[in-house]
Amino acid sequence: MMKSGKIAITGVGETPFLRKGEEHVMQMMTRASLAAIADAGLRPADIDGYIINKYAGHPSEEVAHAIGAGQKRFSAVTDSAGGTATSGDALRLAQLAIEAGLCKHVLVPYAIRSTKPGGVYAFHAREPQKAGLEMPAGFFGQPTYFASMANRYAHEYGMTEEEQAALPMTYRAWAAITPSAQRRDPMDLAAYRASPMISTPLRVADCCLTTDGGGAYVVSSVEYARDLPHPVVAVQGLGLGYNNYPHGVLFSQKPCTFEFPGRESAAQAYAMAGVDPKDLDLAQVYDGFTISALVQTEMLGLCDVGEAPRFYAAGHAMPGGKMPINTSGGHMSGGYVPGMNLLIEAVRQLRGGEGARQVADARLCAIAGLGGNNHSTTILARM
Amino acid sequence: MGLPNYPVHLEDPLFQGFYDGLDAGELRVTVDAETGEFQWYPPEVVPGRPDARLEWRAVSPLGHAYTFTTVVRSLLPGDHKDEVPYTVILFEPDDAPGVRIAGVLVDDEGVTPACGMRLRFRPVEVGDHKIAGFVPA
Repeated sequence: MMKSGKIAITGVGETPFLRKGEEHVMQMMTRASLAAIADAGLRPADIDGYIINKYAGHPSEEVAHAIGAGQKRFSAVTDSAGGTATSGDALRLAQLAIEAGLCKHVLVPYAIRSTKPGGVYAFHAREPQKAGLEMPAGFFGQPTYFASMANRYAHEYGMTEEEQAALPMTYRAWAAITPSAQRRDPMDLAAYRASPMISTPLRVADCCLTTDGGGAYVVSSVEYARDLPHPVVAVQGLGLGYNNYPHGVLFSQKPCTFEFPGRESAAQAYAMAGVDPKDLDLAQVYDGFTISALVQTEMLGLCDVGEAPRFYAAGHAMPGGKMPINTSGGHMSGGYVPGMNLLIEAVRQLRGGEGARQVADARLCAIAGLGGNNHSTTILARM
Repeated sequence: MGLPNYPVHLEDPLFQGFYDGLDAGELRVTVDAETGEFQWYPPEVVPGRPDARLEWRAVSPLGHAYTFTTVVRSLLPGDHKDEVPYTVILFEPDDAPGVRIAGVLVDDEGVTPACGMRLRFRPVEVGDHKIAGFVPA
């Protein structure tokens, strides 16, 4: 197990989150990276390590050149997807590099153009088994895959329409008090029901946003972080859960299609941090879809298995609730830069000063990161 | 209800047996020719046995829905607006537990799809090819 409290997130930055932007991925990654470096009180020349996301499509030398960095001493590429890559894998690699003395300040950039041709569905269309066996049957696209999981979950545990709606309504309530959120218009049950159905039972409101945007953060040792401008936000716990189902069979052939390795990642993270779910002040949960966020809420131990729909319906994750979740609107209302904007929000909440949405005396935040069939749990602490 | 009409990659030998089965009125899935274990979807490599050979085996036309969803907005590449709605089923044959075959619910007038519902396989013609259809049993 890695050691707790050794690395800190010293700088965070992002671009605006837009339904359709004009900038390409490299521009957005550069803009977010420079914002994160400045936020850390550093100069581009101070960055000597890079963790690159393979789905961003730009190697570290392009990023280093674009930000005008100094000597590169370390680089690595995450081998997972989504939130696992940005809020889990990248931090583990950064800690390994920093603790080994290979570099001092690691930049983790990411940007996405969801509006590019083929969009976020193109990745799955390239899977031979999906193209050969699922697409001709009309089983295609993430909302359809996750809708089939939602129906199975409801079959096993029960979930009314009102309970399902409570999750996106909760995240929208947070977005409404977040100036940078992409969707801030109020969502009550009537507005939820007016949202177009995609695949039963998932409506547009049950899906993450289409976003063009980028985000980045800087990781440094806790010793360095103490000399930088912000309160120290350290990685207290970090767990990664993997299984070996390839993407081609992921959504149809697993014994339980909505079972992600989130319990494993959470157990590792809590053990490393030496805390329990009840110690958390807030959480950020990767919300590609209502069903995946419900299941991860359970996997983090924030409620019992099969009870997440009732947990959200009771208002526990709302502003003022006992366990605030996705406090900047998450991916469903805040913006969809996979995993990245959740991690940035966690850091900002732990620093304090987030205005209307600030969780009082926030000191410990968990971030659940789903990515394909992998999962990360990261616990950040204000030291 | 509509039906999805998306081209089948019949040129790929990995999936040929499935569509040959539909033409013959059978649901066929792949097994390890030596051990007889189901290997579904057909993998390029059987786990731990790179020399293993796959063969196609017909499974029961009777089974149940592991899960389902009614597609209202098609996300398939191209224009498929006129093909929705349709209900996709992940079907588990009675004699192949854990094997799931994607197909569509047919003859479903007045039927509310549900996990666990009993179904019978019936191939459905769509354009120039067939897909797996399932009727309430």
